[in-house]
Amino acid sequence: MIAEETLVNKLKQKKSQAKAFEVLVNTYKERLYWHIRRIVLDHDDADDVLQNTFIKVYRNIDGFKGDSKLYSWMYRIATNESLTFLKQKSKKLGVSDEELKNSMVENLQSDVYFEGTEIQLKLQKALATLPDKQKLVFSMKYFQEMKYDEISEVLETSVGALKASYHLAVKKIETYLKDG
Amino acid sequence: MKKDKENNFKTPEGYFDSFHDRLMDKIKQEEAAAGESIIPKTDGFTVPEAYFSNLTDDVLSKTISSEKGKVVQLKPYRKFFYGAAAAAAVLFLVFVPNWTTEPQIGFEDLAHTEIDDYFDTAQLDMSSYEIAEAVSLEDIELSDVMDDNLEVENILDYLDENVEDIEELNLDYSDYE
Repeated sequence: MIAEETLVNKLKQKKSQAKAFEVLVNTYKERLYWHIRRIVLDHDDADDVLQNTFIKVYRNIDGFKGDSKLYSWMYRIATNESLTFLKQKSKKLGVSDEELKNSMVENLQSDVYFEGTEIQLKLQKALATLPDKQKLVFSMKYFQEMKYDEISEVLETSVGALKASYHLAVKKIETYLKDG
Repeated sequence: MKKDKENNFKTPEGYFDSFHDRLMDKIKQEEAAAGESIIPKTDGFTVPEAYFSNLTDDVLSKTISSEKGKVVQLKPYRKFFYGAAAAAAVLFLVFVPNWTTEPQIGFEDLAHTEIDDYFDTAQLDMSSYEIAEAVSLEDIELSDVMDDNLEVENILDYLDENVEDIEELNLDYSDYE
């Protein structure tokens, strides 16, 4: 895999930009897709948000200063795009954020791209009850198996607070799955 | 079979020899059961066939290819548009009388919904601290920015979940004495 610094330099030069951007998309498309999908749940919505994320990355790469790692910068854009997308969707439909989350989970039952079992559907219902931050931390740690340091850089939250959030999320989900 | 000298109880042959191994097996099994979460390891989401293989082309067509494909006009009429716009501006200034008497639109004329809408949809990229610096909090009540009343229980839940170190809050304890 091409070194991140080299990739960033190539992305910033007009001559090598096209090829470097293709490498970037191929390297991160699946990881970013699953990150977004676990926030917006629906495949078509995830596809829209992912494409917007890459378009923003492409347009703003010159402004990337390298203070953080490239992947955490892209994860941050993907997270913001996903949350903004949901906010706009709830506004458009005239429902509260909570109502939207519940309807998203209900829609999963008829979603052709969701082949979850009863317990997996129940897990989604449990996740819908969590605050956004806890849900994000849980998804990044449990499903994407990211390290706390990496999550910390994406969400700009201390490792200690992330550990507490993850612990709380696991407890709430387990309780929901047992009792809910 | 081994016989106890004092109370005539018997144990199976080799019972005590294998006891330690059996005990350790049992402990391991119990530990594994306790550590096993009831949360499923996968979440059941799938994607359409060949989605990821076509994705790169889709993204590139909306970024790099769309820039390459931009049409460059052979006859740059644009400069004439600037001239026409300037002439129209001069004519407007000359022939529209008393334009300064028209009421000016100020910030207070903006409907609250428009302002709310702007904040909801615009990508402001401002952190909470930057917003706090820009907005004076002295004249603002909590009820000005929140639709629902904030219950004490919600505040405590929030602090419980988000504050690691109580010292970070910089509380003035003299208020509570």
